[in-house]
Amino acid sequence: MRLNELVDLLALEHLTPAVSLDRPVTGGYCGDLLSDVLASARPDEVWITIQRHINTVAVAKVTGIAAIIVCKGIRPNDDVIHKAEEDGIALLSARESAFEVAGRVHRLLFPEGR
Amino acid sequence: MADLHIHTCLSPCGDLRMSPRVIVETALAQGLDLISVTDHNTCGMAGTVGDLARENGLSFLYGIEVQTQEEVHLLAYFDDLDSCTAFSAEIYPFLPDVPNDPVHFGDQVVVDATDEIIRVEPRLLLNSVTLSLEEVVARVRNRGGLAVPAHVDRTGFGIMYQLGFIPPGLGFSIIELDGDEIPPGCEKYAVLHSSDAHYPEEIGRRTSLLTLERVSVEELRRAAAGVGGRSIEYGRRRR
Repeated sequence: MRLNELVDLLALEHLTPAVSLDRPVTGGYCGDLLSDVLASARPDEVWITIQRHINTVAVAKVTGIAAIIVCKGIRPNDDVIHKAEEDGIALLSARESAFEVAGRVHRLLFPEGR
Repeated sequence: MADLHIHTCLSPCGDLRMSPRVIVETALAQGLDLISVTDHNTCGMAGTVGDLARENGLSFLYGIEVQTQEEVHLLAYFDDLDSCTAFSAEIYPFLPDVPNDPVHFGDQVVVDATDEIIRVEPRLLLNSVTLSLEEVVARVRNRGGLAVPAHVDRTGFGIMYQLGFIPPGLGFSIIELDGDEIPPGCEKYAVLHSSDAHYPEEIGRRTSLLTLERVSVEELRRAAAGVGGRSIEYGRRRR
């Protein structure tokens, strides 16, 4: 699936409009501990989290994930948004909890289950 | 010899025996010259322990261990009780209004110099304030304090575990380590070993040897930079 389709289907708010959403998404990873995400997230996955610290952008960059989905309506501060834009990381905001978002992403990416 | 990370009976996870009297007696018995008490998100015991320490010839730094929004544990040290208390009061409104459940988390009591309970802290202290690491560091500095990330190499609440790496630009000069190995990327920091004691038996189990002209936050900063023969040496364990 392409990231822009996923964003539309989940009605996510795109906080970094300058960053293109035209890229593939192959899976997802959930986590709020950046050390764990650094070790475990894979390229082209979406990262589902409530972590909003500026280090998220660096972790996204290093792991090659497709986008950060910040859940529960949490909005990272402007420094984080600017840094994400600078580094070309798509920052998305979801109103739902991480559990809800992960369930929906999983259903969309793996309709047959996995 | 210094142990700058000791919890009192006010921390829910701190043993009820951790009264000012016991802390000071144990510190002296351990041969320490300088201590700091650093309770979670409060400095409600610092005044009493500080007075008793000084009366008994122990140097004292006022401290607090803040848990930031990212669940990073950050130590803050201050020269005087007023600054530390003002900082503590400043962050208290950002501590979620969740009542402490002593059965599950432990008691949060303020005691006097004779071990008498004078107040029970109702709000759960073992929680994150709704302020980012950056905001807490800025508030510490505004009050003239020194911010030191706690046990950076620890799984759980250590800055590297929570945030992957120490964010650049926060201006830390000192980090606290549990272990002896400097984590990658931390070579530029001065290292403190402290006990993080929650029980009397743990006081002084990890210490640092500080060479300072006097005990102050500014002297610690200079020691971190190695100015004029000042130094911070870690890896001093109780024999």
